[in-house]
Amino acid sequence: MKELWQSSNTKLEEVITITRKNTEDITRLKVNHFLSSMKPLKIFTVLAGFIWVGFGTVILINIITFHFSQASLFFLLSAGVQILLTAIALIIYIYQLIVIYQVDMGGSVVATQEKLSLLKSSTIWIARILFLQLPLWTTFYLNESIFSNGQTFLHIIQAIVTFAFAYLSIWLFFNIKYENKDKKWFRLLFAGKEWTPIIKSLELYREIEEFKKEKVYFPA
Amino acid sequence: MQQQENQKFQELIEQHKGILIKVARTYCQDPEDRQDLIQEIMIRVWQSFHKYDDTFKISTWLYRISINVAISFYRKNVLRKFRNIPLHNQEEPAEGVEMYDTEQQLNLLEKFINELKELDKALLLLYLEEKSHAEIADILGISTGNVGTKVGRIKDKLKYRFSKNKNN
Repeated sequence: MKELWQSSNTKLEEVITITRKNTEDITRLKVNHFLSSMKPLKIFTVLAGFIWVGFGTVILINIITFHFSQASLFFLLSAGVQILLTAIALIIYIYQLIVIYQVDMGGSVVATQEKLSLLKSSTIWIARILFLQLPLWTTFYLNESIFSNGQTFLHIIQAIVTFAFAYLSIWLFFNIKYENKDKKWFRLLFAGKEWTPIIKSLELYREIEEFKKEKVYFPA
Repeated sequence: MQQQENQKFQELIEQHKGILIKVARTYCQDPEDRQDLIQEIMIRVWQSFHKYDDTFKISTWLYRISINVAISFYRKNVLRKFRNIPLHNQEEPAEGVEMYDTEQQLNLLEKFINELKELDKALLLLYLEEKSHAEIADILGISTGNVGTKVGRIKDKLKYRFSKNKNN
């Protein structure tokens, strides 16, 4: 088997050529900086996150400083928590991108892959944090006059919707995990191809844990 | 200085291109993916060139980078594997054929490798390349005892697969 493998490799080495030009082109590559190593989608995500958090913070500070007496506390609290959660998710995302970029690929395979898969699968944490925002989207428009002048029927609907969203967000926070990766709702939620490497990382992390275990071997 | 560095890199790739090709062959069946992976490995080797720790053999370091890049590359391109164009025809041997020729055995071996998990692929590749248990342990980062256990298990699986196909 070994001979077979090695002889076929020799043939393959004759077919696949790495020319001097290939290696010369690579040596012309400048040292890869963090920003230039990022894919456009990641740059867009970070930029959009910064704009959202920055814009929201400026508006909130403006309202608190100059219009606090007219502002609705529901709006201030909902928007504040929403911006805070987005900022936490953004910080985790940027930290994760920097650490992944710094991982030394010359390290042992198990340690390097363990670090990479753990970091990549931590993206799931970002999703969990962002889902916690769900109920806030049902409260930011509330104000005192709605409660004093509104109909009871509408109040009941509002309470049902807010509690349903709160329940859903907490449920998702605790249930978005590897053990549920084959469940229908999980696959529906993380269906896009950008999630595939994350799910694959979760699987690989489990695989590494299994691979590291030393087991007694009984030859067949 | 830079010129010297470039020259060293080119010599390194020239001398050890076999490692890059074998790793790419183990992790990619699609010839286009394979070429992309080799390119990606060369880039990472160039970027990590200054980090090379000479307490390790250069081949150990190259295997580590190549396998690490291959596993990460595979993860990114996981969807592409469904449109594989295999290097060899991977059909099962026809019924009634008693002897396997080299080509068929190679097909079977490639099919077997393709079905393995990421880390088992690396282990089998290093075993087929006749690396010692100590060197495999160094590259993968597990104990030599663990290497022995896993190699034994994978050899049994391989034997079983070949004998099963022979009997069919």
